[in-house]
Amino acid sequence: MKNTLWKALGILILVYVFAMTMLVPLGPGLLEFQDVNQVIESTREGRAVPEFQVIGFGTHWDQLPDSLQVFVQSKGQLAALEVIRVDDATHATVGLTLPYSLPAKSWNVLTNHPVDGTLLLENGLFLSDRFIDAKATWPAPSFIEHSSQLGLHFPYQPRIVETIRNLMLHVPLWFTMFLLMGIGFVASIKQLSNPRNQRDDDRAVASVQVGIWFGVLGLLTGSLWARFTWGAWWVDDPQLNGALVTVLVYSGYMVLRQAVDDERLRARLAAAYNLFAFVILVILLMVLPRFSESLHPGKGGNPGFNSYDLDSALRAVFYPAVIGWMLLGTWMYLVTLRMKRVNRQIELLP
Amino acid sequence: MMHTLLQTNPLEGWFFSSGKAFVVVGVAVLILLGMAWWLFRAEFRLREMEKMLNSKKNTPT
Repeated sequence: MKNTLWKALGILILVYVFAMTMLVPLGPGLLEFQDVNQVIESTREGRAVPEFQVIGFGTHWDQLPDSLQVFVQSKGQLAALEVIRVDDATHATVGLTLPYSLPAKSWNVLTNHPVDGTLLLENGLFLSDRFIDAKATWPAPSFIEHSSQLGLHFPYQPRIVETIRNLMLHVPLWFTMFLLMGIGFVASIKQLSNPRNQRDDDRAVASVQVGIWFGVLGLLTGSLWARFTWGAWWVDDPQLNGALVTVLVYSGYMVLRQAVDDERLRARLAAAYNLFAFVILVILLMVLPRFSESLHPGKGGNPGFNSYDLDSALRAVFYPAVIGWMLLGTWMYLVTLRMKRVNRQIELLP
Repeated sequence: MMHTLLQTNPLEGWFFSSGKAFVVVGVAVLILLGMAWWLFRAEFRLREMEKMLNSKKNTPT
């Protein structure tokens, strides 16, 4: 009963993970602050000012349009822009009511709305035609900062946008591969310390066999993610190349096993190879990418999801996803192991 | 690229309003349940085979 319970639990967790991953909506965000290359009459300034359009994603500006506020912020200075009109839920026309002397060229754009809360577009505005005076200051505008009134939603991340859902597949798949290769590593150490014990060799080969599948799925989900966020199926990146090499090294383990006929020699050779393969996995996926520049989150000064991007909605799905995939991986490993043992017993039958 | 895509064809609206999200969840859950069924069935068969092999092993020749 206990044996069945954890397997069913793993499947139930994964059903929850798939449902939440695909059905929880993405929160609002800012896509662009676009120069329309026109001027528009500002009632606040009493003169014509450059017209800009702020474009949101999943925003609700058509609800309470008069409450939408747009700000630009740089070097501790915050300036309120004039919202001329709200065009629809995701578009608003704004007048750039800024003085000629500014403390910086690059500005963050912020919106404040009772439904969506405060949204930020980093470096959304770049002004090259203004006089830069580092000491230029003006009084801070008074406003009430709204927090989001929306239900459970995944956080909006620039560039990643809807593909953030892939987090529940890609990362737990790699974690499961690590777990399985770790099991194989321990089994190989045991195999080398007691060469007569064939059971550890079975454990090692079963874990690597299943682990490779998780690695291949990790590569495929990663490649798909790269296509949508970086614009290419594969980029020359130490983390990506390291992942591919790791999967190839483990494929070499399977090839090596096929090449040796003697059972004991095969077990010892494969165990020694597996130790090196695991060390290579750790070096290529966990050590080297941290010392080189990488597009991949968590590497080369590029923050990972667990630093500040992983909010409570993502955690509520991501952690169960890790547990669910690991339970499924362990189950697959145990079935493969039993198959190997039964096959061995059948081969030994007179 | 993504921004242009989202502006011209808001992915979120299309994905959720057309009910495609439910189809994807349905297919994923079906695959998962199919896999679970296959694994349970494999375990059942393995248990049977193990029993048979053990009984053969214990049978005096």
